Amino acid sequence: MRQFFLDIVTGQRSRQGLWVLPLLMALAIVAFLTVRTGHMLRPDNLLNLLAQAMPLIITAIGQTFVVLVGGLDLSVGALISFSTAILALGGPAWILIPAVFLLAGLVGLINGVAVARLNVHPIIATLAMQYIIVGVTLVLRPVAGGSVPRVVIESVGGTFLGLPMQVYWGVVVVLVAWKLLHGSRFGLHLFAIGGGVASGAEDAAHNVGVAVKRNVIFAYVASACFAAAAGIFLAGRIVSGDPTVGNGYEIYAITAVAVGGTQLSGGIGSLHGTIIGAMVLALLSNGMTLLNVSPFVQTAIQGGILLLVVAMQTRRKMGL
Amino acid sequence: MAGLIELSDISKSFGGSVALDRVSLELFPGSVHALMGENGAGKSTLMKILAGVHRPDGGAIFKNGREIAFANPREALEAGISTVFQELSLLPNLTIAENLFLGREPLGRFGSVDYRRMNADTKSALTDLGLDLAPDTLVSELSIAERQFVEIAHGIKADASVFILDEPTAALNAADVEILNRHIRRLRDAGKAIVYISHRMDEIFEICDAVTVLKDGRLVGTRPLSEVNPASLIAMMVGRELQDLFPERARTRGEVLLAVKDFRIGTATKPFSLSVHAGEIIGLAGLEGQGQQRLVRSLIGQFQPFGGNVAIKGKQLPLPVTPSSGVRRLRSLGVGYVPEDRKEEGLFLALPIAYNIAIELHAECNELSIARGYREVIADAMARLNIRASGASMIVNALSGGNQQKVLLGRYLAADVDILIVEEPTRGVDVGAKSEIYKLLRDFADRGGAVLVLSRDTVEMIGLCDRLYVVHDNTVVAEMPAATATEHGILDAALSA
Repeated sequence: MRQFFLDIVTGQRSRQGLWVLPLLMALAIVAFLTVRTGHMLRPDNLLNLLAQAMPLIITAIGQTFVVLVGGLDLSVGALISFSTAILALGGPAWILIPAVFLLAGLVGLINGVAVARLNVHPIIATLAMQYIIVGVTLVLRPVAGGSVPRVVIESVGGTFLGLPMQVYWGVVVVLVAWKLLHGSRFGLHLFAIGGGVASGAEDAAHNVGVAVKRNVIFAYVASACFAAAAGIFLAGRIVSGDPTVGNGYEIYAITAVAVGGTQLSGGIGSLHGTIIGAMVLALLSNGMTLLNVSPFVQTAIQGGILLLVVAMQTRRKMGL
Repeated sequence: MAGLIELSDISKSFGGSVALDRVSLELFPGSVHALMGENGAGKSTLMKILAGVHRPDGGAIFKNGREIAFANPREALEAGISTVFQELSLLPNLTIAENLFLGREPLGRFGSVDYRRMNADTKSALTDLGLDLAPDTLVSELSIAERQFVEIAHGIKADASVFILDEPTAALNAADVEILNRHIRRLRDAGKAIVYISHRMDEIFEICDAVTVLKDGRLVGTRPLSEVNPASLIAMMVGRELQDLFPERARTRGEVLLAVKDFRIGTATKPFSLSVHAGEIIGLAGLEGQGQQRLVRSLIGQFQPFGGNVAIKGKQLPLPVTPSSGVRRLRSLGVGYVPEDRKEEGLFLALPIAYNIAIELHAECNELSIARGYREVIADAMARLNIRASGASMIVNALSGGNQQKVLLGRYLAADVDILIVEEPTRGVDVGAKSEIYKLLRDFADRGGAVLVLSRDTVEMIGLCDRLYVVHDNTVVAEMPAATATEHGILDAALSA
């Protein structure tokens, strides 16, 4: 019995990793802030929190795909800025939005091919891609400005059937990601590939007929497309294109993934873990702002928490 | 009787080296076929060709008289050929069912994986094997033996007619080997053809019906097992007889180098004493898992002894030694410790031979001193150990098992230790390399060194050692000269204690 609870809390015997602990952490922060500030649980604060956290949640969910196969995607922050720049080019939304996803898909494809086919290390491949995107974005839009189509703005700021749009964003993103990750062969194969990487049995998945390289490429495409979606959401909030708005998102996303219990070595992790991880980060920053903690101290505290949570996830050797 | 599978004149080379040269092999339903040969003889390559991992350069594979060819292992499995490889191919982060169905998962509604069907099918395959495992157990929760049984279940579920077991027992204990043998017999009785690769003679004679011996990529011969005995098998494999395998025993012995007195390695175990003299090879024998390894690892501090004292070259070793400093402490007293699992505990697989040997030489130096290359020492060690490699810069992982083991031993021999503690000196090593390793250990003893070995292989213990201590229930129960010891005598001493 004791072992049972211990396993749940530490996530040692599950493929989903350690997500209970960050969940408890998120709840503790909520409880603490409710007591301290009083208006934590008010609907407007919760919605505000959701709107603040949404780009991070979306990006981190995309990042989860890549991390699960033992990779990393450092190009997502640049891709977010790039997406806002594209949307602010001026033109009809029905061209701009598909264009954003197409370009993001191309970026993911190049990342994936570089990693899976050309054997470039994920950090190098996606870092190079980050530079490329940053450069192109600055050519398109050297400083923030322009205006994004009204549809995009309303899709983020408006309401539909009495509910704010960010709720729908959340539902759609989670459904799509859940389907891909936990409700399809693709997701299972990502876990299999990552498990092979982490346990040194790299050929195991290939030997039973899993298309390893193609799935890895798809993982990078998924990451890029989710980042593009996060870019569209952000563009709707800032109503213009901004070449720097995505700065740092790649690191926050990796932090959220790691805090949510996904192992950076691959093969262990979950969608809900990543959402919880992103919420922990958002709650921390929201809460500390409410408590008037200086932004500099906030950054230091976030670093400490990342270190603490990841240190607690060290798994047994055999269990990955 | 017609063969189920016929491999005909299979050839394969990797780069410039020929791994297989026109080898033919016929497998019959309802029989267990042993495949033997030294490491590098081509057994694994041949089986990987049959399993679809490699494609042959020449020759053909026939099943029931029809020629077949596989592009990948998946196709081989679909053609009814199931393999349990040396390196296990299950993924630890997936459940048993997910592993069994990986690559061809049944899909349910909306394209999601049909877990209910997967688990039900897996459960019935496991039950067929008499395994009481839940299909949704993560493979990381299974023992190595259970993982192998799951791989066999994989083949049963795919309705395979040929099962290839590549050294399945290398990591199993005696009880699990017995269970595995039961499964193999059951498969045989169900009319399957089984290929069994192993270095352990007793297993071959217990379970196999026929044996094929390969040497240097060529077929030496195929015989019914009733026509061979261990000695003639070894003769086929290396071209010499069993008694030549072991070097001569020690004629003289010097002073005591390692003395263990009133040692207790469990809370309630009887204290015991043992001593190892210069010039001697001493073996810890007995039934498997009775504390031989625990005894040795109590000396290096991995386990804490509950009493007693240890003297090395007459100097008392202050007890307890801690797990983190034990090996280093002993090393400073001239004791080299060679762990059982060379891949996990011994070698740096991704590093060159030179580094693997030099690391022990560097161990004596100051942390900030300039790291010498020790080029001559390493070249000398490699020549003395007869390590077959293209050079000292060759990555250890690319060496055969026997050569890896020699590199590991060479590390301590080059470092001029006086006492060697060796666990499983020849695990997963072919007969030719075994003989070389025995000779190296004997030479070390003859130059005044003392050796303490433990091994699962009783024949090896009797042939190699001068004296044996029989270990049972975490204590020493008998001492006997190895020259007159028999397997029966050792078992008797252990069980009558």
